[in-house]
Amino acid sequence: MNTNTALQQDRHLSLETRPCSRGFEEFRDVLINDGNISRYSAKCQNANTNNVIGSSIVRSGKTFVITSITGGIVEETLSANNEDDVGEEELITLSEGSNRLAKNASVHPVVEIQRGRVGGPTDEEMITSERLHKTLLHSGILKKTALRVLCGVRRTDENGKTTKIYSDEILEEERKISESNNRRWSYVLYAKIQVFSRNGPIFDLCWNSLISALKSVQLPRAFLDERAADLKIAVRTRGRSMTIRETYDILCDPEKSLPLQLNQHELGYGSNYGIIDIDPLAQLAKEENEMDVDKPTSVLLADIETEAEESSIYSKLSLITNKDGQFKSATIIGGGSKITPEMIKRCISLSKERSKDIESKI
Amino acid sequence: MAKDIEISNSESKFILEALKLKQRLDGRACDQFRDVEIELGEAYGDVTVTMGKTKVQCRISCEVAQPYEDRPFEGLFHITTETTPMAGAQFENGNNTGEEEVLISRMIEKAVRRSGALDVEGLCIIAGSKCWSLRADVHFLDCDGGLIDASCIAVMTALLHFKKPDVTVLGEKVTVHPVDEREPVSLGVLHVPVCVTFSFFNPDDTEENIKGEHNGEISIIDASLKEELLRDGVLTVTLNKNREVVQVSKAGGLPMDALSLIDCCHKAYGIVEKITDQIQRAIKQDSIARNQYAHILSSENARES
Amino acid sequence: METSMRVLSHVDGSAVVSNNGTKVICSVSGPMEPKSRQELPTQLALEIIVKPAEGVQSTREKLMEDQIRSVLTPVLARYLHPRQFVQICFQVLEAGESKDYTVKEVSVGINAAVLALVDAGVPLLSMCTGTCIGITSEERRLIVNPTEPELLECASVHVFCLELGTDENEKIDVRNVLLVDSLGTFDESQLFQVLETGEKECIRLYTELRSVIKDKVSRDFVWKQ
Repeated sequence: MNTNTALQQDRHLSLETRPCSRGFEEFRDVLINDGNISRYSAKCQNANTNNVIGSSIVRSGKTFVITSITGGIVEETLSANNEDDVGEEELITLSEGSNRLAKNASVHPVVEIQRGRVGGPTDEEMITSERLHKTLLHSGILKKTALRVLCGVRRTDENGKTTKIYSDEILEEERKISESNNRRWSYVLYAKIQVFSRNGPIFDLCWNSLISALKSVQLPRAFLDERAADLKIAVRTRGRSMTIRETYDILCDPEKSLPLQLNQHELGYGSNYGIIDIDPLAQLAKEENEMDVDKPTSVLLADIETEAEESSIYSKLSLITNKDGQFKSATIIGGGSKITPEMIKRCISLSKERSKDIESKI
Repeated sequence: MAKDIEISNSESKFILEALKLKQRLDGRACDQFRDVEIELGEAYGDVTVTMGKTKVQCRISCEVAQPYEDRPFEGLFHITTETTPMAGAQFENGNNTGEEEVLISRMIEKAVRRSGALDVEGLCIIAGSKCWSLRADVHFLDCDGGLIDASCIAVMTALLHFKKPDVTVLGEKVTVHPVDEREPVSLGVLHVPVCVTFSFFNPDDTEENIKGEHNGEISIIDASLKEELLRDGVLTVTLNKNREVVQVSKAGGLPMDALSLIDCCHKAYGIVEKITDQIQRAIKQDSIARNQYAHILSSENARES
Repeated sequence: METSMRVLSHVDGSAVVSNNGTKVICSVSGPMEPKSRQELPTQLALEIIVKPAEGVQSTREKLMEDQIRSVLTPVLARYLHPRQFVQICFQVLEAGESKDYTVKEVSVGINAAVLALVDAGVPLLSMCTGTCIGITSEERRLIVNPTEPELLECASVHVFCLELGTDENEKIDVRNVLLVDSLGTFDESQLFQVLETGEKECIRLYTELRSVIKDKVSRDFVWKQ
């Protein structure tokens, strides 16, 4: 950063205000809505062609973050860990203690920061995507069971009329039809997160946007065609024969959908802070007044904004918490001013407040 | 673009003059391979090979995947070689398109994968739908010449050392048993190809197109980095212990005497035999060390093998 | 912790550190001439490359690079080498943790980097050491430097790095917290427990690294009485 802006910033800070005219511990105002991007949103115009199943728009100051969530279905490979036997439930509870992450799921986020040019992803985009993925995986907000496909069957009767049956909607005796095949599918979610007018650190904004988009996700129901359910094809390759079980198509129901189950009590929202030393030389302007000697020379700034702040602040904190102080992630980087426990405590109480505020807006 | 290493005129002249007198900088004879040191890691399929100042690590990993449609009976096997500036400043990060980098990965690919050293059909779990996907990651830690030879030894040792988890197939259902539940199984290695690289120098400035009685070219085995930079031609032969030629590569450079190829193969065979024995010995020692209580627990009668 | 320095011959400095199943080799080259896009007019530029034990580099390694960069940047005396750059490569030899975690690799990597930087003779302002801590979900017990099975039981995992030095009275001086990266579920008091326990462990590692360096220097300068 050039010396002029640095000095300008120091002068501002010594006058207890920030170049962006906010107070030290004042956050930018946040607006959150679902933007009518999803096919399931109330005012959606193109529900037939739209494959977005959850969305959000977060606006903070000048910055917009738009998240759209799309999905796919994959077959699960069964391993000995999730044995598909009678004792499945017991086994899962047994293995739960030993591997906490095995039950958690995550989404695959792609962060794009729009800056008016094309090209491969920048380091910041890659790092933010990875952090979102990892934080969500470790947080336990999304469980694997929430993404499991409860598969239905489509039947065609003699008259050529088709009906779709879902195992959880039908009577007990019919249930075994759909459970007869022991293959299992689950949804995978992709999140495309676009950032417009980036004006400071984006991780907490992206996180808040991702969470509010996940809250709006509706998973389409999926079914198999009964006629294709047990198809085997004999093949001969290089003198040997075998049967290949056809990878039959699993289809998505265009009408029915279920909301995505999130672990509500695990939700948390992000905020960021910076700690900066005020250059005593910059305070010269105030010298004539009686200077309070015990005034701290390093200050805590909430919600870093503008390039000037971002490039001059080397000590940063980024916290994800709920209003009760249950943390999901904490990142403290101390490249500049000394970080004291008091400052961390102050950040924590601010981030609880902030989290409460954001929660009320979603 | 990372800069290539340049050798000063006086140094290059010194090395070449010494070679004419059959002397090498590290005191080796012209047809002497460096001593190979094989180090096996804690995990299966983790091998570090050290040859002089050259150090290469190879690591094998596997996962369940879907086989290629046109090869339903075969598993997948990939070898990746990535260079980093760690091996030397001449390598650039993320750039694996340099001539040398491509050559190394192609040679290892040919020597190991295309020669059928690994039984890929043994990686099949359910024909057409599930198989093991095996990958060998070769990390070049330190480069003082002979990367191809060292990598080949590392990959083959790692394949012999690696064990994949046991699976049970019941109809369509595949159960993968964790290593602590069931003893993992070794891979099917059909033969052990070993690469030996010969470097040729032309002591006279002009190239001799017709080589007469007085063939002046110098050939050395297992060149160091400096020798590699100065050489005029290179030949890599890959042999296995069954006296079979797996692969021969002589891509341009100084033309060599056709009949000396046989001579090179003969020399290489001696080296290959020695190295193969060393690999087998290392694997055996490792398995003895891992199963030091096996003979107490075993109920089998001792048999002559 | 097992360490060895100067293990590679074609770079300026190198070190291997292995700790509880995680083994990382680090190489340092420089200060040298940078590519023009890396050059900084007033300071030393850093290039950090992390290669995984298995597979090719992905976003996971990019995040590790970013964390290591934020730890190493403040400890280097960067003003001494303007318009030059240092290349720091990490190769994970044994991850000791699954792909979902990076805590062990990052903390071991940072310790390896300090040794390699000293080996290369790159000027440092202070030392830094890193450790990882897990908090179990059942008993809420802190485990310093957990093994892989222990890691899986943890409700939260933390990387902790301190900037340390020794003042003129030979007293260990904690200069700043360089990195805390916590993931999982935890509360305020647990975070402060991590800071407290991490500080003790980092100081312990600091004395250990210093004695390793002392040994090395006394061996290297055996001719200088």
